[in-house]
Amino acid sequence: MTGPATATVGGPQPAQPAADGPPPAAPVRRRRRRHRVLVPLALAAALLAGTIAAHELDQPDPGDPGFLSPVATDDDGGSRLADALRARGVTVARETDLLPALLGLDRGPATLFVPAAELLHPDTLGALGELPAGRRLVLVDPSRRVLESAGLPLVPTDRRWATRAVGPEAGGRPCAVPEATRAGVAAAGLQRYAAAPGTAAALDRCYADGLVRLPGRAEVVVIGASDPFRNDRIAEHGNEALATGLLGVHGRVVWLDLDGPAPAPTFGRPGGTGEPAWSPTPGGSTGYDGDGTGEGGPGGPGTATGDGDGSGDAPDSAGPPPPDDHPLLDAFPPWFWALLLQLALVALLIVLWRARRLGPPVTEPLPVEVRSAETVLGRARLYQRARARGPAAATLRTAALGRLRGRLDLPATLGPAEVAARVAGPAGGTPEQIHELLFGAAPQTDAELLELARSLDRLTRTVAAAPGRPTEGDPR
Amino acid sequence: MTWRAAVLLLAGVPTLPFWPDPVPAVAVMTAVVLLLTAVDWALAAPLHGLTVDREGDRSVRLGHHATVTLRLANTSGRTLRAQVRDGWVPSAGARPDVPPDRVSRVGPGGVLLLPNRLTPTRRGDRPAVTVTVRSFGPLGLAFRQRAGRPATPGWTLRVLPRFDSRRHLPEKLSRLRVIDGTQVTRGRGQGTEFDTLREYVVGDDVRSIDWRASARRSDVLVRTWRPERDRRLVCVLDTGRTSAVRVGDVPRLDAAIDAALLLTALAARAGDRVDLLAADAAIRATVTGTGRRDLLHRLVDALAPVHPALVETDFDLIVAEILRRHRRRSLVVLLTALEPGALAEGLLPVLPRLAARHRVVVAAVHDPVLTALTTAPPVRPEDAYAAAAGWRALAERDRVRAALGRYGVTVVDAPADRLAPALADTYLRLKALGQL
Repeated sequence: MTGPATATVGGPQPAQPAADGPPPAAPVRRRRRRHRVLVPLALAAALLAGTIAAHELDQPDPGDPGFLSPVATDDDGGSRLADALRARGVTVARETDLLPALLGLDRGPATLFVPAAELLHPDTLGALGELPAGRRLVLVDPSRRVLESAGLPLVPTDRRWATRAVGPEAGGRPCAVPEATRAGVAAAGLQRYAAAPGTAAALDRCYADGLVRLPGRAEVVVIGASDPFRNDRIAEHGNEALATGLLGVHGRVVWLDLDGPAPAPTFGRPGGTGEPAWSPTPGGSTGYDGDGTGEGGPGGPGTATGDGDGSGDAPDSAGPPPPDDHPLLDAFPPWFWALLLQLALVALLIVLWRARRLGPPVTEPLPVEVRSAETVLGRARLYQRARARGPAAATLRTAALGRLRGRLDLPATLGPAEVAARVAGPAGGTPEQIHELLFGAAPQTDAELLELARSLDRLTRTVAAAPGRPTEGDPR
Repeated sequence: MTWRAAVLLLAGVPTLPFWPDPVPAVAVMTAVVLLLTAVDWALAAPLHGLTVDREGDRSVRLGHHATVTLRLANTSGRTLRAQVRDGWVPSAGARPDVPPDRVSRVGPGGVLLLPNRLTPTRRGDRPAVTVTVRSFGPLGLAFRQRAGRPATPGWTLRVLPRFDSRRHLPEKLSRLRVIDGTQVTRGRGQGTEFDTLREYVVGDDVRSIDWRASARRSDVLVRTWRPERDRRLVCVLDTGRTSAVRVGDVPRLDAAIDAALLLTALAARAGDRVDLLAADAAIRATVTGTGRRDLLHRLVDALAPVHPALVETDFDLIVAEILRRHRRRSLVVLLTALEPGALAEGLLPVLPRLAARHRVVVAAVHDPVLTALTTAPPVRPEDAYAAAAGWRALAERDRVRAALGRYGVTVVDAPADRLAPALADTYLRLKALGQL
């Protein structure tokens, strides 16, 4: 019992240990112990949540209206880029739909700038890969789905947490894109691209794979970061030179500025210009449900896609099954699922009911437990483990001798032979036996020791019970 | 949230097939149940309108019953429906008259009395720990419950030692009266202190005749004697590690307390002054015998919360304390254990200082396990080894006894149930011999 067990009764004794320390401190300590766990966890969670929230706020969303729009002047807009292009004598044609943009390209060499390819309808993406010769297509941060739908042999690889300004020859590979080498260091290191496995496309890669040019009939430039084009960062490093160089190569830019998900294409537009209407692109897009948004559908199975919607597991070619098609769903009526849901809620209520206890458990200050004769029993076990038959026998014989001396009034000066002779009378044995018992050799086995202990016990009992002397209560 | 809310929601489950749209139906029923629960919670009697206090016994003898009543006053304007749990430490043996899972109703301004029968199983201070009130709403769907509200009124039940050796007291007192000479009036008091002269009556011991006084008067006078009175007795309880050893089912300290109580009761009746000191590494309790009327009561009260501590007893401190307090020659009764290690290293070095001024008695509880080891006929080889170890322990104890005897210390070594009368007998013998 380590608690203060103090009592002062009567008399002015000042030397008393204080007894009012622990009881009020106990709940405080318990609360503190809880805080010791909760505070660092809460701090870490707050730090993590704050960082993620700040990152989400900081990263521009390609789906926002005005994202990289030539007429938008806010931070995400592209008005400064459009002004810079015009200042270099480049014509900027803003289009808000893909079809007029493609028609605009037909009028001569031009660059098609698609800042948010995610917003295009999946059925129309195939057109991007089939531009006429002598055109250039610039895609900003396209996802795997866009690249596959457009038929471009590229895949996104790893993605950085934030954009990094790198040199065009970063990554140890010479840069074959002259606009990039002219621009120098630019903020292009965010999403990296590589050739799709199984295709042998010769790629020009710059900025540590953050910018990839795919030569062909119509060349395609894919850049992983939107930073060089945005109003807020265009003035940094060589961003402006890179952006104007990439877009202004043909003297005319067709700027596809979508302010929301594009609607599904209509086949055979009434009152159209006679241009062949959309035909379903072979391969790739029939699997998508026709809700018109490229954003809600699952992305590709890649590690990261343009706007982070990489949650789907199914490959794109097969597409995820629509929710109504699950066989298990049709097997039961809808009320069955509602019933399961309600039973789960009932279980939750039962958990809430049982979780609250009627007051905390009460602890018992346990008393000190010390078994009696603990050291004696321990010593006995030590004797046994050490096979100390000799010392044990000597102790037993000394004790028996002491008792016999007391019983028979033997003087302490008596020799062993005389003791044996005097004991033999009341004990009823020969003096030789008694002498062997009291002063013999040490036993060699446990059985011999046990036999010796029994004989000594019997001897002392016989002597104690022998008539002639009053026996006392204590048999020892 | 109670089981009723879950049952209410469960009752809605069979209706699901008949709803036109089952999933919103689940939402509707859940919302209804939650709304009812929230309303019920809001209508429950507020906890801050409750006050709790206690009344009842403050102390009880071990083995007897005590009753402590919890008074729960509802000062709020609503009817209180509550489960009340009064948490005591388990060794207090609390058995509430109203079980904690029964819901009691108290009207506005009413008072609920919750008696609690306590049958403590251990000596010492047994505290009440927490009062928890769970206030239900009128529908029984939700309850209010909060830790620390209402505040738990503190209460400590002091469980006094059993004092089983009280039954020896009448016999010892009659022997004390014999010594005193008050009962056998014809006999000569066995004391050694001169009391009075009185006229000789037939039957008086002729050896008591005071011839000088008889010569002065024309009558034969005898001297009467009485035992010394107003002697001092100091009981010292060792509460260190050796007192924690369990003899039977109780610590050795409890047997020592029992013996100290009998000795105190006897000595107080004999007119001696009794002081008490309980100590291990520090002084745990002190009682000075100034007021004789309630001495025993104060002693019991002081010893009740004393418990063994797992520390080595500081005999240096104890001896210094005795020498500081008691300058006159006293009888110092040291209730400890005859452990060779503890006594040889702790007590023997300081014993000469103590024995030079005081008469010392060492009383120790004999370990019955040791007796059993050494007297039982051995059956297995382990028994032979155990008997050897037991005899060796007894031999060491005898050596300690002999060492103590060299300083004139009387040693009382008895089993736990015999220690108190044996110590009382020693006291009476010393008193009769005038060796106090």
